Parts: sequence; C-alpha cells; structure tokens
Amino acid sequence: MNDGMGATDPSAVAAKKKLSEQFFKKGVRIALFSGVTYGLYSAFLTFGMTKGVWSDWYGPNTAGLSTFAIAYLLGALGGAVNDICSAIWAMINAAIKGKFGDFIRCLNTAPGRMMILAALAGGPVASTAYVVGLQMAGSIVTPITALCPAIGAILGRILFKQKISKRVTIGIIICVIASFLIGSTSIGNDAPDGMFLGLCIAFFAALGWGFEGCIAGYGTSMIDSEIGITIRQATSGLANLFILVPIFGKMSGSVKLSFALAGQAFTSGPAMIWFALSGLCAFVSFMTWYKGNSMCGAALGMACNATYSFWGPFFCWIILGIFGGIDGWSLPPIAWISAILMMLGILVIAMNPMDLFRKKEVN
Amino acid sequence: MKPLNYAILKYFTTVKEACAEDVIEALKDEYGNFKALKKDAVVAALMTAEANGLLEETRFEMDQTGQLRIYYHAHEEGAATINKYIKD
Repeated sequence: MNDGMGATDPSAVAAKKKLSEQFFKKGVRIALFSGVTYGLYSAFLTFGMTKGVWSDWYGPNTAGLSTFAIAYLLGALGGAVNDICSAIWAMINAAIKGKFGDFIRCLNTAPGRMMILAALAGGPVASTAYVVGLQMAGSIVTPITALCPAIGAILGRILFKQKISKRVTIGIIICVIASFLIGSTSIGNDAPDGMFLGLCIAFFAALGWGFEGCIAGYGTSMIDSEIGITIRQATSGLANLFILVPIFGKMSGSVKLSFALAGQAFTSGPAMIWFALSGLCAFVSFMTWYKGNSMCGAALGMACNATYSFWGPFFCWIILGIFGGIDGWSLPPIAWISAILMMLGILVIAMNPMDLFRKKEVN
Repeated sequence: MKPLNYAILKYFTTVKEACAEDVIEALKDEYGNFKALKKDAVVAALMTAEANGLLEETRFEMDQTGQLRIYYHAHEEGAATINKYIKD
C-alpha cells in the first residue's frame, strides 16, 4: 500500500528534516511559553491574595488569625483555591477536546498513578512551599525554585538512567547561576522578616517540582499531556484542600477553622476573579511544561520552563507594581542581565554552540 | 476500552512497523469518534513516543499523494516498557 519512492528521495529527506525541526522548535516554544504563563500565574495568584477576604487576613486581620495560620494555612489555602480553579479549567479543556473519557480511564493505570504521585509531590508539597515562601520572602523565592531543572535532571539520571551530557550540565549550571543572580540583589535590601526561612521553604518547592518534572515527564510519554495535566491539577487541588489545609488548620487550632476559611476564600468574589485567572495560567503553564518536556527532553524542557524565574518577578512588577500600584515589586537591572544569561544557558542546553559556526557543512 | 494514547502505543507491540496512517486505519473502528485520532495528533503522539525512547523510526517515504510517511517500530526495550506500564 505504500509504494512511495523510498527514503533516498530528496523530497522525502527534506520533508522529514523539516518535520523533525518543526517538532523540536515547537517543543522549545511550548516549554518557553510555560515559563511565561508561570510568571503570569505567580503574579495573578499573589494579586488575588491581596483582594477580597485575603486583604483582611493579610491586613487588619479582623478574623484574629494566628501568625502560624497566616503564614502556613493561608499559603496552603491559596495553593488549593488556585489548583481547584486550574483543575476546572483543565477539565473544561479535556471535555472540549473530547478527552474527558480518557482522563477517567487513565486514572487507575500505572502511568496514571505515576502522574498522581508526581502531582502530590508538585502540588501539596511544592505549591504550598512556594506560596508560603512567596508570602514570607517575596518574589525573590521564585529564582530559588528555578533550581528544579537541575534537581529534575539529577533525579532523571538516578531514576530513569537518562543521560546528561557535559554541555547540558554546563547549560543547567548557567541557568541556575542566572536564577540565583536575580534573587541575590534582593537579599539584604528590604528583606522581610523570616526571609531566610522563606528561602529554605522555597527550596522544598524546587525539590518537589524537580521530582514532579522527572516523573511526570516520563508519564506523559504515555499519557496525553492535556489528560496528564487534568490528573495533576485535580489531584493537587483535592489533596491541598482536603489534606493539607485541614492539617494546617489543626496545627492552627482547629480543623473547622480551615473549612471556614476555605468557604470564605471560595466565595470572595473580588479575589476569585484573580484566582480564576491564576488557575487558567497555572493550567496552561503546567500543561505546556509537561508537553514541552515530553517533546524536547526533560533537561531542555525544564530549562525553558525555568525562565519563569525571570517572568515571575517581571509579571509581579507589571501586575502588582504598575497595575496594582503596590510598592516593592520593581525589577532590579540585574534581573534583566540574568534573563539574558539564562537564555544563553538554555541555548547551550538546546544546541551545541559550535554548530552555529559549521552549520553549512551539515548540508 | 483503553485511553487512545495507550491503544496507539500498544498497537506498536503487535506490528512489525507502522506509520500514522496505519495507526488511524487500525484504530478507527474503536476510536473513530475520538477527535485526537487525526493525522496531526497521531504524528505528534508518535514523535513524542520516539523522543522518549518508546518507539524507534524504521524508515520514511513520500506516498502517492506527496505526503510524508514515517514508519516506527517498538524496539525490544520500548515494547517492554509499554507492556510494563500499559496492561491489556
């Protein structure tokens, strides 16, 4: 049935080369886009947590919440509300694309269970650590969490025996250095109380996401990435809301408190508009992260996604600083320089720089 | 009924080699109403599986209509992984 002209046909070779290049470039574009939407998600989430009932909790605190509840319970609750919104977006998307049935069918399979495990590491553990870190130390925690590509690459090597070349290692190191540079300028300037602890907590987020990227990247080689993200957000939202928030509620005094606060959070209209947006961006960001990882390899995919360490503070500056008129969100010059450095790191991971000089020889 | 992506991968453990068109033809009875059983989506799924070491390209050619066809097979390690994670 396939009586074509054979693989030596120059037009077939050219078409094949074009398709491969398009696929790779699309993977890189998708992974980079995940970084941009991650920045937007961070900004909308942080902004949402200054609106409606949150403005009282973090401000006058007429509810009389303890310091512990404000730092941890609210952090977990913010993550839970965001992930539930995100899961709803993911399910709507799956339904529109005719993939909702497959979402249900994938749940109780080995790759589905891998995705749930990844979601638990990246959701309740990492997202909460990230939100708590963000609240305690400000946007400088974002670069710390950008360590996750390095962690993911190391875990990928240990768990799945994925190979990392010297060039890729150098690229990852450049990206991590760039991430640290963005954070370094903020240290010691207007550091809020508890900033160091916030940074340490943020490191756990990096650990959780590194684990998630490694496991989920492997899972999405078998599960459709749009189904994968639906599993991820649904697991993460439910686990946050029904496990983590009650645990922090119990530690804050009573489990009832956590459900009361959750009820108020979900019914706070002025804040929910922003959570709906942050949820949408989180859904798009994580979906494109998974997709990018599975298309162009975990190391490169995660490095492209890690540009969020620039996009996070960038969109916080635009949305909270410029649009919201809140002080303290402006972007230091070093952040711009680091962003360029990070791009260089990604380029090193993506391609051998020497190829730029000898690309004519390949043809 | 398996999720579509699983069925695509499983199909490769039963044939010597196949291209996107073969996959669509083989699965159209059961998955014909799935929006994702379209050439572009199947090509992307096969290339993703290749990027993750589950499938390996065997050959490619232009068909009579001037469309590129890339053939893949599940090599021993890929087939073992597919069968390990995706049960019948």
